[in-house]
Amino acid sequence: MTNLSRRTFLKASATVVAAGSVPAYFGFSEFKKAATEESVKKVPTFCHGCTSYCGIIAHVKNDRVWKVEGHPIHLKSSGRICARGHGMAAYLYSKDRVTGPMKRVGEGKFEPISWNQAFKEIGEKLESIVKQYTGNSVLWLEHGTHRKSYVDRLFDTIGSPNFTTQYSTCFNAKTNAWLQMTGTSLNGDHKNAKYMIFEGRNFAGGIIPNGMNHITQAKEKGAKLIVIDPRFSEIAKIADEWIPIRPGTDLAFRLSMANVLISENLYNKTFVQQFVDGFSEFKRMNKEYTPEWAEPITGIKADKIREIARDYAKYAPQAFIEPGWHGLHSHYVNSTQTAQMGIILNALVGNFYEKGGLMPSASLQLGHLDLPSIENMPEKGARIDGAGVTGKYRTVEPSRGIAQITPQLVQQGLAKAVFICNYNPLRTAPDPEEQKKIKDAELVVSINIDWNETSYYAADYILPEHYYLERLEHPQAVSGHISHDNPQLALRQPVIKPMYDTKNTLDMLKGIADAMGHKDLYPFTIEQEVEAAIAPLGITFEQLKKAGTLEFPATVKPGFPMKKGKPALPTLTGKIQFSADLFKIDGKLGIPVWVPPLVEPDPKNDHEFRLIHGKQPWHSHAMTTNIEHLMKLSEKYQGTFMWLNASRAKKLGIKTGDTVTVKSKIAQKKVQVKVTELLHPEAAWLPSTYGGFSPKNRTANGVGVNFNDFIPIMVDPLSGSTMAQEVVVTVAKEGN
Amino acid sequence: MAKYGLLVFPERCTGCNACNIACASHNQLGVDVSYNRLEFLETGTYPNVKMEILPVQCQHCDNAPCVSVCPTQATYKREDGIVAIDADKCIGCKYCMAACPYEARQLNEKRVPEKCRWCPEMLEKGEQPACSATCMNEVRLFGDLEDPNSQLNKELAKHEVYQLLEVKGTKPSIFYVKK
Ligand code: SF4
Ligand code: SF4
Ligand code: SF4
Repeated sequence: MTNLSRRTFLKASATVVAAGSVPAYFGFSEFKKAATEESVKKVPTFCHGCTSYCGIIAHVKNDRVWKVEGHPIHLKSSGRICARGHGMAAYLYSKDRVTGPMKRVGEGKFEPISWNQAFKEIGEKLESIVKQYTGNSVLWLEHGTHRKSYVDRLFDTIGSPNFTTQYSTCFNAKTNAWLQMTGTSLNGDHKNAKYMIFEGRNFAGGIIPNGMNHITQAKEKGAKLIVIDPRFSEIAKIADEWIPIRPGTDLAFRLSMANVLISENLYNKTFVQQFVDGFSEFKRMNKEYTPEWAEPITGIKADKIREIARDYAKYAPQAFIEPGWHGLHSHYVNSTQTAQMGIILNALVGNFYEKGGLMPSASLQLGHLDLPSIENMPEKGARIDGAGVTGKYRTVEPSRGIAQITPQLVQQGLAKAVFICNYNPLRTAPDPEEQKKIKDAELVVSINIDWNETSYYAADYILPEHYYLERLEHPQAVSGHISHDNPQLALRQPVIKPMYDTKNTLDMLKGIADAMGHKDLYPFTIEQEVEAAIAPLGITFEQLKKAGTLEFPATVKPGFPMKKGKPALPTLTGKIQFSADLFKIDGKLGIPVWVPPLVEPDPKNDHEFRLIHGKQPWHSHAMTTNIEHLMKLSEKYQGTFMWLNASRAKKLGIKTGDTVTVKSKIAQKKVQVKVTELLHPEAAWLPSTYGGFSPKNRTANGVGVNFNDFIPIMVDPLSGSTMAQEVVVTVAKEGN
Repeated sequence: MAKYGLLVFPERCTGCNACNIACASHNQLGVDVSYNRLEFLETGTYPNVKMEILPVQCQHCDNAPCVSVCPTQATYKREDGIVAIDADKCIGCKYCMAACPYEARQLNEKRVPEKCRWCPEMLEKGEQPACSATCMNEVRLFGDLEDPNSQLNKELAKHEVYQLLEVKGTKPSIFYVKK
């Protein structure tokens, strides 16, 4: 034992005496029997613990899932998965799953109904809503786009453009900026990089296991890792340097990085000349953003900014600023400009399409079923949330929409029927009290697996989906977040037979469409879809089932895309456009300039903090909070506590374990505090996980608080995101 | 005969607890028990601060106090170095819990003081146990200390290592890499 005292070393390990039953598990002494007597069937599929969708191999004994392992081939897992992946598998046996279709009969009261009754009632209701208010009053909310192709057929039939994802609460600023400026998106080539800047991006919290493994490998070879974040996040633990930045000021840091690169001639001139459009305009507008200008804004010394910019240029093009995800991209009024600057800083050092810099994901062309086209398609009106609509949210991607304003759309009478699938806006969108009002729509259907808040408080009908380990899905081309040269295809397939009276969403839509009289809207099965998807690939369904994940010959090579000797990105000029032309509306600029955060804590008020949040490595926001083993970890490691910087906490007389009152304009809650040196003094940090309030999700209910409790519903005018850290709270010790 | 050992790279650990829950599902543990834990230590003051993380589990001591205090030989040392428990012989006296300086044991719902089994079924196959196999940062490396060609011995030769609470004379089978 070297540097840890015995006291410290032992203190965290209070022994917990076991109580109660362990229904999901065999229990200790049975292990050996189970391990030896039953033969293990191994079925490859992919995870649903977060949106990385890691390939996994499920071990099944006696028709029971015993455990899961990372799929050795899969790009995201490469044989390893995180805590939530293991926990999600065990959740299959949760006592809080919805076991069959439910109909609301009162507040918090539901009665089981048959699928036929559910389809009939929902179909009739929907039919009458469409007749009365047109199809435009129907809204589909989903966590991602998995079921979009199914929903599209129904929505084309009734005339609704309103398919909305949760992306506006997550990463819209980033995808929007990349779309406008490059027409594509690239990923860090972590494995081959020599210098990586992770700003507001915590790969070790929002985990992509193989991505972390690539970073570990690069670090073994001597790569440098710089983490810029108000909080010492999990990835800062392995960084060469942690640079705390004043929350909300990453844009200033990035603007001044660019200023150093340009003023010191450290940028890649050849690359810029050849592949960048709008550089001179950018240069002109960037002139004033010196490191000295950025120092008081960001709290980072000017010399430090220079040092980072110089090192970054020195290692380029084997250097990048991690393109990022949720971290910086739905948090501030300046998130879109911050995302733009991420692209610009990468382009300035010429790392696009370079090994060790930014590289594309290999893609795969899948086949499609030749489905009969929809007859008498009604004309669709404008999206009710205004995404992409001139005069409303013109620059917001209409394919994604603005999820957080759903209750407002309901209140305004624009949304009459709301379908919510694999998504829980009552817990994961801002202002839950407001989100509860989704229930005022004439028809609310929640498609989910457990009794989440949205089902419990807002749904008229709950339609339980097969658990991810029980269902077959359209195969998925694996890509995103980490660079790879070989395309991969992954299949989600049933590992065990469905345990309860559940269905897949395609069959639910079939049932509802049938009940509305749209017979044969879905004249296919998922099996047929899979066959059609893989037809161009020269593989069989059997092969795919057996392998789970298949890898194909490499299609990606370094080198900027060119056509007839000219740059050929899918933008107007074929080049990287430093100005996002679409943003030049309402007097706004296409080139990123400094935009201060909307709100600021008063530095003279000891009680005021900016509330920020982030992921914990063993939870995926509210999705995993009801998993007992994962919640145990939270209990064991003070995971539900709100972090406060030690010097600030001292001023308020707060110690670790104390309960404080946190107050914003819209809410007041109590939470326990962890006092730490690992956080910027201006910020109060909350894990983006807790605050479950569905009494039927028994493990999560009543544990901790959530940042969404404190933020009003807001919309970033450029990308539509929630601006989830534009909130000031006051913190006071209980009783003060 | 193999003699199992483990090398831990604490510097690489980012505290994700995948090891913890992979172990729980491999060994089908109840929610209130876990065989491995992480010790967090924060040093310095903002902004010059560091975080260290130490993964801890049963050290499979060569000179195991839990073995010597056990009145029924429920806890015993296997030839391959693994300290094992025969749950049928355990009378739940908790002497081993008190004797273990690493707090490696936890009472389960049947009042047996459980701890890391070192997953012999995996080691015998030449595979890594669940905790190690799932770790994205490759923090743990299990292997055979007797086999000069084992990856474990190769890595052990490359690094300066220490053991936990060496002063206790327990002779753990786990080695930690010094940074
Ligand atoms: S899985 Fe690895 S990185 Fe994660 S906590 Fe365990 S040892 Fe640390
Ligand atoms: S670590 Fe504790 S339980 Fe394990 S062998 Fe040593 S004394 Fe026994
Ligand atoms: S060796 Fe086996 S029992 Fe021990 S911590 Fe690892 S997985 Fe758990």
